[in-house]
Order: sequence, then structure tokens, then C-alpha cells
Amino acid sequence: MTLLANFLAIAIVLNIIESAIPIIPVPGAKLGFANVVTLIVLYVYSFKDSSLLTLSRVILVSLLTGKLLGPVFYMSMSGAILAIFAMGFFRRLNFFGVLGVSVLGSVFHCIGQIIGGYFVVGSTAIVLYLPIMLFLSIPAGVVTGIIAQRFLKIWQTWNKDLQ
Amino acid sequence: MNQGNQKKRDIMLAVLLFILLGGVFIAFRLLAFKDDASMAYVYYGTSSDPIVTIAFTEQQIIRHYDQDTPASYEKDYPIIDEDNQTITILGDYMIDGIRQDVVIKYDFAKKSVQIIEEQSPNHICSREGESTGWPLICLPNRVRVEFVNDQGDFTV
Repeated sequence: MTLLANFLAIAIVLNIIESAIPIIPVPGAKLGFANVVTLIVLYVYSFKDSSLLTLSRVILVSLLTGKLLGPVFYMSMSGAILAIFAMGFFRRLNFFGVLGVSVLGSVFHCIGQIIGGYFVVGSTAIVLYLPIMLFLSIPAGVVTGIIAQRFLKIWQTWNKDLQ
Repeated sequence: MNQGNQKKRDIMLAVLLFILLGGVFIAFRLLAFKDDASMAYVYYGTSSDPIVTIAFTEQQIIRHYDQDTPASYEKDYPIIDEDNQTITILGDYMIDGIRQDVVIKYDFAKKSVQIIEEQSPNHICSREGESTGWPLICLPNRVRVEFVNDQGDFTV
């Protein structure tokens, strides 16, 4: 429980720092470092813990940045929900590894965001932004996937040492 | 364990999706729009009724209804400035609790629309530049401009 709270704190900090620093030249696009924590918790703990952590993160970050219930909030929320369900599903399927699950989560995050965006502006025109978002989501998913993979490897050796 | 297989499948998935989605994205940008709009609609919020219509072929601006704004904002939105060819809408994005203007510039001759001034974290809609077909969507302000190129739709 304490560890989960720590993970949540890390995810919140990552999320806020990331939205403050534009890393990629494309405006608004983010790597999604906070998703590294979601992935790690999904693999180390369970789907339930991971989804709870992710939803709390989205709500707390929007509270801290003053965007609660704003248009962007609904998009992050729907993106996060779809992504976590997709990752939970593919994790259980066990066909792909951490990297694959991360990429798929990233893709579903975009789809969720666009669905949220549809309800915010009430126009299907927003779907036109999906191709560029999906295209950018692949490298983002790969980067977060690699980070999570490395962490999980180290985590396993730690656990062995402890036992 | 089948971790080696999983790794191979992961890489294949990432590469295939990257190529596929890259192709879709390029095809979209190249083929999506013919630059021949007869008019453009300006919308605010989730409403499907345009607040302003920019009729390029008839060279006129049609103001459909007043934007529903709190009394503390003294101007009557949308503000149409025919001399400067701009339309100003009150956006949703707030700075210090004050909603900010979204300024849209139109050009009848070029049949184009550009969002020249707005406040938002990433300025995605104003960075789109001048558009002749691609919809301009400003999510934080909940303002959008969509083009229509169907002549049959012309009933104004």
C-alpha cells in the first residue's frame, strides 16, 4: 500500500513535469512517462491496483493544475480509461510482452482521447486528428515500454536479493 | 518461458503499426481535402448550429445568434469586424478566471480561415495556420471551424 502510494506520487510528478516541458517539436504531444508507472504497477501488482492508480493520477493532476472538469480533463480521462482496459486485456492475453502492451496502450489512449474530444466539441471533425496522434503514439509507446521493461528486470533481481 | 517469442512479437507489432499508421497519416494529409470550400462554419461548444457562417462564394458573413456569455463580459460575442476581416468568439480557456478571446481571420478571395489569436497551453489551432479545408479545432476554447464544399448544401 505504501509502495503504491509512492508510485502514485511518482506518476503525478512525472505527469506534471512532462506537461510543463515540451520534449517533442509537435505541440501537445507527450511521451506519456506517467504511463511507465501504470505499466509497472500492472505487471508488479494487478489490473485493479493499476487502474485505480491511473484514475487517481488523472484526477489529482487535473486538481493540481486547475483543470478539473475542463475539456482537457475529459479527454485525459477517457484516454486513460481505454488505455488501462486495453493494457489489462493484452497483459492477460500474454501474447505480447511489456513493450507490446505499452504500444497497444498508447494506441488505445489516443482513441480514447478522441472519443472524449468528440463529446467536448460535439463534432466528428476531431477524428481527423486521429491519424497523426496514432502515428506519434507508436514511438511514445516504445519509449515508455522500454523504460518499464528495464525497471521490471531490475525489480525482479531486487526481489530475488531480498528473498 | 516464451519471453523470447514475446520480444519478437513486440518488435513486429511496433514496426508494423508504425508503418501502417505512418502510411495512413501521410495518405490522410495528402488526399483528405480538396481546397474548394464554398463556406465555413464557426461553432462554439457542443452545439451543432453554427454561430457564424462565412460564405466565401457570396462574400458575406452571416451571424446566426449571440453567444451565451455571462453579463460580466461586456461585449456582444461574436464580434464581427468586416474591416479587418475578423470574427471574435469568447473561448472557454480562462486566465485568472477570465475567459479569453479567440480571433478568427477569414479571406474570401483565398477561401481560407485562420485562427490568429487564442489562449491555450499548446496553441494547436493557431499553429495550424491558414486552412482551406482542414477543420480548425481549439479544444481548450471549445471553438471550431469546419468547411463545407458541397454546393448543394448552399441554402442561405
